[in-house]
Amino acid sequence: MESIPFGLAALVTLFSALRVVRSPNLVHAALWLGLALLGTAALFAVLGASFLAGVQVLLYIGGVMTLTLVGIMITRRHDGLNVPAESIGHVRAGVVSVALFAVLAWAISATPGLDAAPLGPDATTQDIGHALVGTHVLAFEVVSMLLLAAMLGAIVIARRKDPAPHAVTHLHVPATAVREAAE
Amino acid sequence: MTLSSCLVLASALFSIGIYGLLTRRQAIAVLLSVELMANAANLVFASFGHFRGGPTGQTFALFAVALTVAEVAVGLALVILFYRSHGDTQVDLARELRQ
Amino acid sequence: MNELVHGALYGTLIATAILSTIAMGIWFERKFAGRMQQRLGPTIVGPAGLLQPFADIIKLLQKEDIVPRDADRGLFDLAPILAVVCSLGVAAVIPFSPSIIASDLDVGVLWVLGIGGLMVIPTFAAGWGSNNKFALLGAMRAIAQSVSYGVPLVLAVLVPVVLSGSLSISGIVAWQAQHHWFAVWPIVPGLPAFVIFFLAMLAESNRIPFDIPEAESELVAGITTEYTGAKFTLFYMAEYVHTLVGSALGAALFFGGWDGPFAPGLHWMVLKTLTLFVLIYWVRWSLLRFRADQLMRLCWTWLTPIGVALLLVSAAWVTFGGTN
Repeated sequence: MESIPFGLAALVTLFSALRVVRSPNLVHAALWLGLALLGTAALFAVLGASFLAGVQVLLYIGGVMTLTLVGIMITRRHDGLNVPAESIGHVRAGVVSVALFAVLAWAISATPGLDAAPLGPDATTQDIGHALVGTHVLAFEVVSMLLLAAMLGAIVIARRKDPAPHAVTHLHVPATAVREAAE
Repeated sequence: MTLSSCLVLASALFSIGIYGLLTRRQAIAVLLSVELMANAANLVFASFGHFRGGPTGQTFALFAVALTVAEVAVGLALVILFYRSHGDTQVDLARELRQ
Repeated sequence: MNELVHGALYGTLIATAILSTIAMGIWFERKFAGRMQQRLGPTIVGPAGLLQPFADIIKLLQKEDIVPRDADRGLFDLAPILAVVCSLGVAAVIPFSPSIIASDLDVGVLWVLGIGGLMVIPTFAAGWGSNNKFALLGAMRAIAQSVSYGVPLVLAVLVPVVLSGSLSISGIVAWQAQHHWFAVWPIVPGLPAFVIFFLAMLAESNRIPFDIPEAESELVAGITTEYTGAKFTLFYMAEYVHTLVGSALGAALFFGGWDGPFAPGLHWMVLKTLTLFVLIYWVRWSLLRFRADQLMRLCWTWLTPIGVALLLVSAAWVTFGGTN
């Protein structure tokens, strides 16, 4: 009975992932990624990882997607509405990715004993909390320091030091207005 | 829904991400493909967590999510810096070690 | 299967109730605003203007649906639908009475924060897909405001979570029913946390005093500039729904939800939600709009540090046996 939501979520995720890598418009690709992340959150929920599903929606879609969309807005604003995202080497990359998938699928099917029934009940949020401050407390503290370092690093790297960028040469008025308003 | 079907799904997602990583020429599009691959890895963690019991699967996946968010933040900051010096975010333009 | 049917049934019920309340809320806001400004408000359509919301909605729905020629049709059409979905989806985990809840998730608070945070996507889609510089500016301001005020929102919502030890909203309400409402006792993390939650919720729904993304004097109509007719109605409705559901959430998290001095039930929840709803209107028609930098300064230099301090206080409260 669990297979129906699993199959649906898997289909949505795979279809959205294909649209992410094949869509010619960058903004559309970013939004398809949002749907793929939502599909992955649904898969987490079907797998009983409800806390992880909630965190996935909150952090990935609410955080990473927002960052990506703002990044697209800042770096591609003189393209207008259709932000082109060209791609080359489809055949070679297609061969590589299909070969990779074939190897992985063969390795999974050749491993014995994978399809046993679930060993125990799913971990609740309390279990995860105990694990985070119990067994894995060192990793927890290190990850928090890493997040602080990443935040500071991103701010320092992206901080504007020059008065204006020199590379953008031909501008029409609306784009200038947008750029000035963005600063 | 068995463990091997979940793992095959994660492998498919990972392969799609590799395809995107190899074909895309825009830096942000490459970042999107990297996100797909990270999601595939998280799916593997969550599947093992469900089928083998214990909180370790979800805990590892949580750490992976935190690390990926940090990586995207720094990556986008680098892309913005690149855009300011080159005027375009094509990965082919990143040829010199310094301007 | 039983949960699916239960969820669908109660979800439809709750969604219908919310949308009906919104319809009456439109009338109430016009009358309330009129009285605050020493005038009568709508009086012509129906007795005491009671049919005014229907007149408004019929007027909006029968307008021509204009789509700009170079707009991105997919994004343009998707945005209002997603906005309503994100606003209404939050109500799925709020217990309106001990038995009325659409889906009793054990990570309900995470669901609320996640679905509320999804609101960034329709904002961006509307701003970018309209192919209009005013809409894009409004979208950028709205996204910056939404992301910034998400931080104090999460911190404020974590205070009842820590104090009650449960991530499910029905668990938090049940805990408050057994012990005491969080805004009343412990008063130090509880009441300031509610104030921060209230301000953050106002900012997330773009209500005055935080409505710079849709300020008419500056941005025409922000992200909804190019929208007409039914799609504009959806955005309009999404904002009201967001406000009402935010009030319901505040009533459940900080004021005990369906709990009351006698006969706990749906009526207490409705009373508290509508009180907060009226409070939001009161603030809206009394205060001036914050400037963008004042808004950001309020968030980052006041609300966020106080929120972190409140979280620490509530953690200390629980550790040293305050809740027993």
